[in-house]
Amino acid sequence: MPTPVTDRVLRSNEENFTIEDFKSSEPRWCTGCGNNAILTALQRLCRDEKLLPEKTVFVSGIGCSSRFPHYMNTYGFHGLHGRALPIAEGIKMARPDLNIFVNTGDGDCCSIGTAHWIHAIRYNMNMTVLMHDNQLYGLTKNQVSPTSPQGLSSNTTPRGSYLEPLNPLSVTLGITNASFVAQAADWIPEVLHAIISTAFRHQGFSFVRILQRCPEYVPTMFDTWINDPDKTLMLHHQNGMQIPDSLNGVYKNREEHDPLNLDRAREIAAMTDSAPVGILYHNKETPRYDDIRDPDTLITADTIETAVNGEFDKYTIWPDT
Amino acid sequence: MNAETDHQELVAFHLTGDRSGGHLTDVADLELRPVLFAGYGDLTRLRYDYPLLLAENTDGEDAVCTLSGIFDRILNRIAPEGIEGEFARKQLLGLEREIRTAVAGGAEGALSDMWRQAGERMLAEAGETTGKDLADVLSRAEAALAVDGQVVDCDGETPGRVLRHLWMAERRQKNRRLRHRLDKLILGLKAILRTDFAKSEAGRSADQLKSAMGGAFEAAFDFDAMSNILPRTSPDASLPEDRRLRLLATLKVLETQRFVPPSELLGQTGGEAPYDFVFEGCGAAMAALEERLPELVALTKALSVAELEMENRFKPLRHAQYFENFDQNSLRPEDLAQFPSYLVLSAEDGSATTAVERAKAVELLSSGLPIKVLVQTDDLLDQGSVAPGQIALGGNNLHFANMAVGINSAYVFQSTSAGVYRLRDRIIRGLDYAGPALFSIFSGGAGVNGSRTSYLAAAAAAESRGFPAFVFDPAAGPDWASRFSIANNPQTETDWPEHDFSYEMEHHQRVDERYNFTFVDFVAADRRYAAHLAGVANGGAGNGLMPAGEYLQRNPDERQDSVPYVLMVDGDEVLRKIVVGETLIRAAEQCGESWRALQELGGVHNSHAARLLESERRLWEEEKQLELDALRAQAEAASAAPATAPAPLSPGPNVADASVPAAVEEVEEEAQDAPAMNPDEPWIETPRCTTCNECTELNNQMFAYNENQQAYLLDLDAGTFKEMVEAAETCQVSIIHPGKPRNPKEPNLEELIKRAAPFI
Repeated sequence: MPTPVTDRVLRSNEENFTIEDFKSSEPRWCTGCGNNAILTALQRLCRDEKLLPEKTVFVSGIGCSSRFPHYMNTYGFHGLHGRALPIAEGIKMARPDLNIFVNTGDGDCCSIGTAHWIHAIRYNMNMTVLMHDNQLYGLTKNQVSPTSPQGLSSNTTPRGSYLEPLNPLSVTLGITNASFVAQAADWIPEVLHAIISTAFRHQGFSFVRILQRCPEYVPTMFDTWINDPDKTLMLHHQNGMQIPDSLNGVYKNREEHDPLNLDRAREIAAMTDSAPVGILYHNKETPRYDDIRDPDTLITADTIETAVNGEFDKYTIWPDT
Repeated sequence: MNAETDHQELVAFHLTGDRSGGHLTDVADLELRPVLFAGYGDLTRLRYDYPLLLAENTDGEDAVCTLSGIFDRILNRIAPEGIEGEFARKQLLGLEREIRTAVAGGAEGALSDMWRQAGERMLAEAGETTGKDLADVLSRAEAALAVDGQVVDCDGETPGRVLRHLWMAERRQKNRRLRHRLDKLILGLKAILRTDFAKSEAGRSADQLKSAMGGAFEAAFDFDAMSNILPRTSPDASLPEDRRLRLLATLKVLETQRFVPPSELLGQTGGEAPYDFVFEGCGAAMAALEERLPELVALTKALSVAELEMENRFKPLRHAQYFENFDQNSLRPEDLAQFPSYLVLSAEDGSATTAVERAKAVELLSSGLPIKVLVQTDDLLDQGSVAPGQIALGGNNLHFANMAVGINSAYVFQSTSAGVYRLRDRIIRGLDYAGPALFSIFSGGAGVNGSRTSYLAAAAAAESRGFPAFVFDPAAGPDWASRFSIANNPQTETDWPEHDFSYEMEHHQRVDERYNFTFVDFVAADRRYAAHLAGVANGGAGNGLMPAGEYLQRNPDERQDSVPYVLMVDGDEVLRKIVVGETLIRAAEQCGESWRALQELGGVHNSHAARLLESERRLWEEEKQLELDALRAQAEAASAAPATAPAPLSPGPNVADASVPAAVEEVEEEAQDAPAMNPDEPWIETPRCTTCNECTELNNQMFAYNENQQAYLLDLDAGTFKEMVEAAETCQVSIIHPGKPRNPKEPNLEELIKRAAPFI
């Protein structure tokens, strides 16, 4: 919290941003790719929340979605496959003042990065995690991922995949300390923006699974949901998300769901007949690791020198001993 | 003496104070106490709010706790319920009484010391067998004793000690927060300057590089070569001179400030001593505040400049002028709230209550500055301000607190010492309040009220409405209902609190009565006012007497010839009926008036609300009467009309129509849902656009993105109907509606119209 004078000074000279301020290089995703909608939603969020680019960092792993930091005019860290979350956690510990976003795909998060994902939920550190779920590996040209539907034919499963998919919502809701779980769809941009806005304001680990179209390899994957809006279950609540008026005529299948009702959230997550969109679970009281471990004392140059010397001393061979 | 003479004598005393009739006695030496307090002769045998513990290094409400509360917590831990914990319970309650007795006898000090001494006395008195078990209980209890601090009884020093203790706890928190902020900013500014130095010519000199390396591997490096290479690899990016000077000036203010103690983390030593914030009088506090104001302004400014610099958000063009003009008029309450507040305690000689001090206090309380003033009252019946033939009520301090409420921006707290523990949260709120606060506390005095203890005098003052408790908190809300509270008085709805009490007659008959505790009951215990009281001698029938509580509640013309009395117990615990003189009754009436004024402010029996309620009720009754008349007239007309069914002018509500409202709602919803678009015109559902670039890549003159990066039709003439149809077909979410062709000469229109049909 700044002093009241600083607050007044900054508010009287508030910087206004446009989406252009958050654009970086031209995205190299395919035309029609759902990632474009997610990118726009995030740029809108940064503009609306007046996030300072130098105070914002996007962290990713590997995959189509993980190219995300390249397209944001903020700080970014394009990390290793599956390792976006530990990198983001490290940044949060060292720089709690930064706004941290994580972009990860279904392969990056739910396969090679699963261990980190599970523990990041439990740690509940303050960051917004966007899991772009196109239900296959796209960057490596069409292989099944843990969330691919059973029977999906791909380069690694020419006779169709054999197993039922992993449900990222059910998994997240089953982990200790889960504090914010939501599902959005890239083809409903107003709701996507509303959900990530709430996720960003949540003080804790906000997990948003975004159903994302891949027009290149599975162009009809989400047709059922896109062509029949009644197959989408819109969740709304006074303590959750309000559905924008502009969608009144399209999405009429709705449920008033209290985001504190964990049991119902788990039932909704397990639905197969319709795709829930909205905030499934939101608990502001969940403890945060970064909050618990926030050191009361400041670190001085002497403290750092002592600590570094202590570490070096462990490996020093003293000639006279 | 016949009944008439008897009554005449009572009336004469009531009006003139004349006791010459011989049937009324002097009460000066009877050691009278209010009858409702008769059971509280020995407070050392009672578990009540005192003594208090001023807990060390504890913040919030736990900074002040009761001895009983501490023992209750220990009993919960080491003395289980039932017979199993009986021995430990008995011994620990004995230890508590031992400490309470010692404190009542004048003992002072830390709880741990008193605990040890009381324990040793108990062990010395215990036999060998009991002693062993007792030692075990005491040892376990001591281990469970989690707090320590000074033990305070209820006396003339209590208000000052409690307030100072809570203020210290609040100051500790503020010091911690401000010190942390200062340390962080000092470290941050130094880091910027250190980096700047490292990049400078001096910082990259061979000698500097050598000193930074340390001695162990000194010979392995050629520092001259390194010094020559570094400027080439790291271009000059030193700070602009004006910024460097601003950083240095800001750092100096942060490092030399005196509002919080020096930093242990940064190893700050020497320098001038930090400021003291406790004062014995308003004048001294005001002078100190004025003297420190320039430094306060400089520090406030420096804190903000440092924060902006740390974040690289100080823009000279935007901010330099603002900070140059920043002076004491720029300070706001929230700025001052970062620093310790000033505490003004009444001077021991009572100077805080003199007229001059009061005038200064008013000035302070009106200033909006965070100054907390304690105004203590020791003698509620202040002799110094007695007008001829009158008893001054509550002294001037009571009125002073009422007046302070009128300032409207000052927090005002009033209570007796008896209520201080239960209202400690309100004291803390007053100390936390960003502006000034007045704490008006009646200490119970040092026996001046004739009571055996200060606590009983304070409790009697609260019970008798002589010193009512109230809180005015300007930060609690925008209206009086939120800001003003009298909730902590006994029986706030009544004029005088009423209680049951029982006594025994000469022949052991039990008598139960209900009795009011009035202001007269409080004054009657003060022997200085014995002249206004008279005992009814044995044999006096006391005809025409009326309890003072009932007498005060009647209008003067309803009192007829009654003479008021109060019930008191004397030093021998004998119940006495005491006749009251008119002067005391007038004083009690004045006290009652003041209480009723407070009740109104606190929303109890509020006359404005009562009048509004009455007028609203009358309006409602008139309205209902009109409705009733109309219905009657309708019924009469109906009975006079021919028995044919009239055609309804409009469909009325009936069972068959129950579905009508729902249908209307649905229609309305449909109307709201369906955008009124002309199917012949092309359009895009922009809010549903997913920014997939399909249409913009097809024709970026025809399709463009808005400020939310969602597609809209920019120029219909910039493309063909064919492109419009292709865009609709490739749109991933089918939100492009092509309408009808604009150019009838465009080729293949028939086929295109057919393709466009699904998207219309």
